[in-house]
Amino acid sequence: MGDKPIWEQIGSSFVQHYYQLFDTDRTQLGSIYIDASCLTWEGQQFQGKAAIVEKLSSLPFTKIAHSITAQDHQPTPDSCILSMVVGQLKADDDPIMGFHQSFILKNINEAWVCTNDMFRLAIHNFG
Amino acid sequence: MADTPMWEQIGTGFVQHYYQQFDTDRVKLADLYTDTSCLTWEGVGFQGKNAIMGKLTSLPFQTIQHSITAQDHHPTPDSCVMTMVMGQLKADQDQVMGFQQVFLLKNIDNKWVCTNDMFRLSLHNFGA
Repeated sequence: MGDKPIWEQIGSSFVQHYYQLFDTDRTQLGSIYIDASCLTWEGQQFQGKAAIVEKLSSLPFTKIAHSITAQDHQPTPDSCILSMVVGQLKADDDPIMGFHQSFILKNINEAWVCTNDMFRLAIHNFG
Repeated sequence: MADTPMWEQIGTGFVQHYYQQFDTDRVKLADLYTDTSCLTWEGVGFQGKNAIMGKLTSLPFQTIQHSITAQDHHPTPDSCVMTMVMGQLKADQDQVMGFQQVFLLKNIDNKWVCTNDMFRLSLHNFGA
């Protein structure tokens, strides 16, 4: 870890924490959002910790497992961290699906919180 | 367009412009980056307009076509626009591949520029 840039350490720790919480008890994800956070989930928008957690908690599966294929992290001009994740997930007994997710992390009052979160399943209209 | 939030207009305008330039003459993409912009291309990092353009112009294909499946845009706490794109591309005679790209756009001197850019092909280690 010592040689990795700080934004990469913060970003990869966040990613690990986020998917671990998501896969074990996603009602706990409220701790990473603030009231100004935005989530776009499959094109649908939610703003604020309460609305975001309600959406995540009400997703129609009981079991989910995420597996990360690749993750990238960059520092932004405003001292935030931009993270992009490519992975696969398995919900209940559905087939494995690819997904894309991006986050902006910002340090507010000495804690890193997620101000922006975008999620899409990797479903294309193959021609 | 009038009912579309400002950040969405900026984001979709950028996305249209970016892929149009990329598919016709990607040398012109230089206008979108600054000397502090960061690009991560398939996990490899490049910083600054020159390094980014060096990478983009040396990609090993002659023709490329992007098609956008979905795009999402957010305002950020620092008045930037965050954009996530999911799409498919066809390079030369290769098979169609999925890709994911994320941009952070910032207004600097009354111009929207791309400060952060991340690109990945959607290749997984499918187990089954």
